Amino acid sequence: MATLPHDDLYQLVREPIDMASLAQHVRAPEDGAIVTFDGFVRNQSHNRATLYLDYEAYESMAVAKMREIGAQLHEKYRIHRVAMVHRLGRLEIGETSVFIAVSAPHRAAAFDACRFAIDTLKRTVPIWKKEYFADGAVWADGELPPTPAATPRSESAS
Amino acid sequence: MPLVPLAPSRSTGYNSPVPPVSQTIRVKVLFFGRLKDLTGRAEDSIEFADATTLEQLFALYSARHPDLAKYRSSVVASRNQEFAAWNTPLRAGDEVAFLPPVSGG
Repeated sequence: MATLPHDDLYQLVREPIDMASLAQHVRAPEDGAIVTFDGFVRNQSHNRATLYLDYEAYESMAVAKMREIGAQLHEKYRIHRVAMVHRLGRLEIGETSVFIAVSAPHRAAAFDACRFAIDTLKRTVPIWKKEYFADGAVWADGELPPTPAATPRSESAS
Repeated sequence: MPLVPLAPSRSTGYNSPVPPVSQTIRVKVLFFGRLKDLTGRAEDSIEFADATTLEQLFALYSARHPDLAKYRSSVVASRNQEFAAWNTPLRAGDEVAFLPPVSGG
């Protein structure tokens, strides 16, 4: 895996996400733009009123997958720094569950990279949310990560 | 008196005329989301024949928890924190996880 710039941040947290300080973290004099994505808890799901959400993760793999996304961002786009933080545990309506900030010399790369980052996170990072309603709780419908095709049995496992 | 090996070593290589000895191995298995609810546990440690595949391991748990089987088509598996094909053979000490569709964000 490609090495990431030391100044990038990829974290899972259990406290409220400090968006301002993350945006500040990716800001540097050589940049001209920062694009951020703030994903927060909606008050309804499929027309049922949500009480709160509870997020869990396969934590070590989730951080590894977030870092992989970061490596892809630096390969694909002319960006400077990335901060990507997902919160776990119980989140109330309106609280930020995921925050991504990308800085770049020019805005187009920052927009494109931020969009790619959240879209890929939602497909490949092993995090799950359980939605709590007045009359029960369900695991949210999710996306199936792409799985490697079956390998011939003769191939040694690495 | 020199020790006589009781069984051929597995390190004799792929071209060895001696077939590998069947051994049992222990792996760690993790369940997440609704799979954790269905099995009633987040983590297990289980012993089975060497080279058992992810598919066979999932079938083994499905035999214990029949509700698991109906989720098979919407589960992906990982081996040592990488998404893995279902026919991936497992090795001693592997960390396996069965993952329902992800819903972060």
